Amino acid sequence: MGFFNKTRSSGDRPSPLIPRATTRSGAAASPVAQASAAHNRRSGSDVRSSNGLKEFLWNLEGLNNGCLLDLGPVWQSTITFFVERGFKLYADDVLRDWKEFLTVEEQRLRAIQPGQDASEMTPESRAERFLKTNVQYPRNNFDAMLIWDLLDYLDRPLVKRLVEHLTDLLRPGGVVLAMFHNRKPETFHRYRIFDAQNLELVPAPPLFTIQQTLQNREIQDLFRPFRTTKSFVGRDQLREVLFVK
Amino acid sequence: MWKKPEDNKPQPFPDPAGPGAPSGHPTGTVPGIPATATACVSQGIKIKGEVHGREDLFVDGILQGKISITEGTVTVGPNGHVNAEIEAREIIVRGEVTGTLKARERVQIWSSGRAIGDVQTRRIAIEDGAVLRGKVEILQQKDELRATRPVNPPAAKAPVATVPASVKE
Repeated sequence: MGFFNKTRSSGDRPSPLIPRATTRSGAAASPVAQASAAHNRRSGSDVRSSNGLKEFLWNLEGLNNGCLLDLGPVWQSTITFFVERGFKLYADDVLRDWKEFLTVEEQRLRAIQPGQDASEMTPESRAERFLKTNVQYPRNNFDAMLIWDLLDYLDRPLVKRLVEHLTDLLRPGGVVLAMFHNRKPETFHRYRIFDAQNLELVPAPPLFTIQQTLQNREIQDLFRPFRTTKSFVGRDQLREVLFVK
Repeated sequence: MWKKPEDNKPQPFPDPAGPGAPSGHPTGTVPGIPATATACVSQGIKIKGEVHGREDLFVDGILQGKISITEGTVTVGPNGHVNAEIEAREIIVRGEVTGTLKARERVQIWSSGRAIGDVQTRRIAIEDGAVLRGKVEILQQKDELRATRPVNPPAAKAPVATVPASVKE
């Protein structure tokens, strides 16, 4: 598991996970940039360069038959990308599950008569209940996790409990890529892998409005058990943070 | 019985395998039902038990238990609710499936499809909007050989009585 001890920056080093033809970044007229622009025009989605993704992939370099947990919606491109690189991919759209869970909870809350015990309906106990039936995997099962910007859209008590839970599921040395909005985003997006250096932002009907924009200190506190963090802020004020357990 | 509502009409589906690849898309003359499907669990039918066979199967009703169609395609229609482990050559999900999907060749999950469970296959096609919760494991040729060929062939044993498939309505 030597690859987990890397603390250097990936920089422009070629990576086996990144096709050689696309390792050079920054060239505005490169074939990849042209393809991205053409794709944007066609699909209405946005392709953005992602240093966080590059760093994430660099940390997974050399890992064979790794297990990756994607906490976003399932996309063909993301599955193909990782499966072609020998990963077992677990898909678990937590935001969608949380939405469905809250719908049921709302019905339960409505059914409670005045005077009945409603102590179970606090945000903390709701978070506990959600995690008892969702994101259930063996401890130390995963080598990598893609959290995307999920944590910005969940209740604070759930954010804290979820990160603790995910920390248990990640193997020592495992890598997490998470994103945080520095300001309230104008559009709700879901994310998928476009290629080894770019993410595609797919506009989607909003499941939730943003619940909080976490500050640096809060992010560090949440991921306290993680020993290495790297942070990249894009022009779109989206902060990509890489954590290594 | 065979008539389906308008929304069951075949929809376009991106085929990542290319135009030459075999397709399990519903292309039959009856909307929503594959032309090759010889067995059909229609909407309103509920089956509890095990289904074994070699021909294609279309499930638009409710099925609980196990489906094993070794040489054919299992299609879960838009109204289908399947709570079963499915083993087939190809599996197409347009409705709801809870259980492990094992397809020797390909799994397709359409935008209306919802699969909760692990997927083991050689190729997978997922349309935007589809829901999948579980592990995706792509089998290589060597995995299949390992799965089908025992390392030490077992010694000849006396025939064991098998439990017949039980189908209840």
